[in-house]
Amino acid sequence: MWFIRINMTDQTYKVEEAPAEYKYLAGRGLTSTLVAKEVPPLAHPLGPNNKVVFSPGFVTGTSAPTSARVSVGGKSPLTGGIKEANAGSPWAPMLADMRVKALIVEGQPKEKDKFWGVYVTWDADAGKPKVEFFDATPYTGQNLYDVYPKVYEKFGEKVAIAGCGVAGEYGYANAGVVFDDMAKRPSRYAGRGGLGSVLGSKRLKFIVLNAKGAPGVEIADKALFEEGRKKMIDALRTHDITKPKGGLNTYGTAVLINILNEAGGLPTRNFSSGRFEGAPKIAGEAIFEGNKARLGKELFNHACSPGCIIQCSNTWHNEDGTEKTSCIEYESDWALGANCGIDDLDAVGEMVQLCNAYGLDTIETGVTIGVAMEAGVIPFGDAKGAINLIHEMGKGTPIGRILGSGTGAAGKVLGVTRVPAVKGQGMPAYEPRAVKGIGITYATSTMGADHTAGYTIAPEILGVMGKQDPLSPEGKAALSRAFQATTAFIDSSGHCLFIAFAILDIASGYQGMIDEVNGVLGTNWTADDILKFGSEVLKTERAFNEAAGIPKEADRVPEFMKLEPLPPHNQTFDVPDAALDSVYGEL
Amino acid sequence: MSEIHIDVWLYGELARFGGAAPGSAFANPQVTLPAGSRLRDLLAALNMRSEERGITFINGDLSAMPGLQPDLDHLLQDGDRVAFFHLRSMWPFQYRHGVAMAPEMQQAMLSSEDLGLHHAYTQGEDKKS
Repeated sequence: MWFIRINMTDQTYKVEEAPAEYKYLAGRGLTSTLVAKEVPPLAHPLGPNNKVVFSPGFVTGTSAPTSARVSVGGKSPLTGGIKEANAGSPWAPMLADMRVKALIVEGQPKEKDKFWGVYVTWDADAGKPKVEFFDATPYTGQNLYDVYPKVYEKFGEKVAIAGCGVAGEYGYANAGVVFDDMAKRPSRYAGRGGLGSVLGSKRLKFIVLNAKGAPGVEIADKALFEEGRKKMIDALRTHDITKPKGGLNTYGTAVLINILNEAGGLPTRNFSSGRFEGAPKIAGEAIFEGNKARLGKELFNHACSPGCIIQCSNTWHNEDGTEKTSCIEYESDWALGANCGIDDLDAVGEMVQLCNAYGLDTIETGVTIGVAMEAGVIPFGDAKGAINLIHEMGKGTPIGRILGSGTGAAGKVLGVTRVPAVKGQGMPAYEPRAVKGIGITYATSTMGADHTAGYTIAPEILGVMGKQDPLSPEGKAALSRAFQATTAFIDSSGHCLFIAFAILDIASGYQGMIDEVNGVLGTNWTADDILKFGSEVLKTERAFNEAAGIPKEADRVPEFMKLEPLPPHNQTFDVPDAALDSVYGEL
Repeated sequence: MSEIHIDVWLYGELARFGGAAPGSAFANPQVTLPAGSRLRDLLAALNMRSEERGITFINGDLSAMPGLQPDLDHLLQDGDRVAFFHLRSMWPFQYRHGVAMAPEMQQAMLSSEDLGLHHAYTQGEDKKS
């Protein structure tokens, strides 16, 4: 297994044997460990001492279903703390196939005007990966949908591309790291926390992979791996949420729009209400029926990355049947729709496409525009105005740069008190005043407000709560702690978090995940070990944040959520601080 | 009051029970029932079997999920908003932990196996190994 170190100070690289101490780490577990070890906590996120670490999960690159994920880590320009964001893409298994455990981008060139790309291939003679640098300056300052085809033209159709858009070149705190999907769209993002700008600060525009001739992932115990893989496939193919033509494959993640709206938990018009009257017009059901009307046939969703059998990635079409964008995820749909008071799917689709084109995180972009609407920059519901603001971000105008700096910073500049962010990161699409359990996770996650920080994967974790009532604040905090730990493991496994939907309810699927990982590594990990693994990852991340100057007092939802009752339930966020502190206090 | 008026929301393929044309993503019929009607009476008025519906809300309170329907005897009030979801809808546990629930749903969750810590309540029962 290899570590590739790419030094952008002088455009050199090293391929070294992965140190033995990292043998049992991958994905988020490895990126967070390396960042904590190698990045000074007080480093400027866009300075020479920050690093960007890419790592595929344990089973990424194998035939384990729905496992083509790559983690990206670094110090976040958005939160000032540690950041792990991950994505599903053909890029991930290519890195794994070359047996690259971590690709680490470090240093910074003195020359600011020139951007570079790296081309990573398998050197069959040397039996290890090799790296070539190329001038990527001609690809800068442009829409990624225009640039990606040129990169494919240069390197051939068999490559995969990661990088940053203009948002990363400008240094926006809301710039994501872009990856290609199965149809070569620049549309799969490790979106959150501004890591696209850390790449941009190092003047690294693209990392192009070509795994031709690479040996593939080594599996220590093939029989055990195969057994686990079959259990996982069985679980995913039978559960109502993940099976073919099931909830996700039919309606995509936006199936949650109407649900959260009815629950009074769909943040609307910058978190001023939990219900949006236009929700049914932008929901997953409307996407499915709208596509059917425009295409004259039913359209089920597709895989974003190789080997995914859930296939939840949707496509929205124009009236003439041409493609408008892929993919309108629940979070993007909500952020750019309900949160801005916009109920027009074509407008939402256009905004998603623009975020992908410019390299912006759709969640942070929508939440920031909501704050700008609150400030009166444009009115709520103004779709044209919102589209224009995204163009301003793409052009790098003064207002564009303010909005590109993210929810917390833009809220300060614009004098807004209702700023839905934790640790500077804009809040995703579940209102903490209506869904209090996730409010606890938003408040306490090492990542800032993050809806992917606390997935539920096994009922056994109830055992960690002792005799607490799961509906009491203390019980919710205990569950959040267990959810966050188990999620840190899934983020290290290489599986997409959505496997959690099936394996929580189908115990053999949960065992399948453990078998797969043990099969690859030759370990004998148990369910308890998984919880411990996740807890260690969280402790590492937490220690980095504390050293970076983020105290436990940052584990809070914004004050307005404690003061303003949220319609329609008219509830405030009333989880006591002591319960929030217990999440990490008792880790 | 001898009659009550219910604001009904039917999502996805359930829109047909609200008289919507094929291809509609939702329907929002207003249903009038005799005072004292219960949720089962509303289902009957819509001509919809209880098994057709999944996640259900009464005034934003979660009252049922597929395989867990403790709300059939819930007494409806004039002006209630009742929402029914199709069986392909979903609501993972972590995204509903701590939400408002109808009292009978809260009781059903807490008295169920694993305190209701599941994403779905139908196939999980026979698939667990």
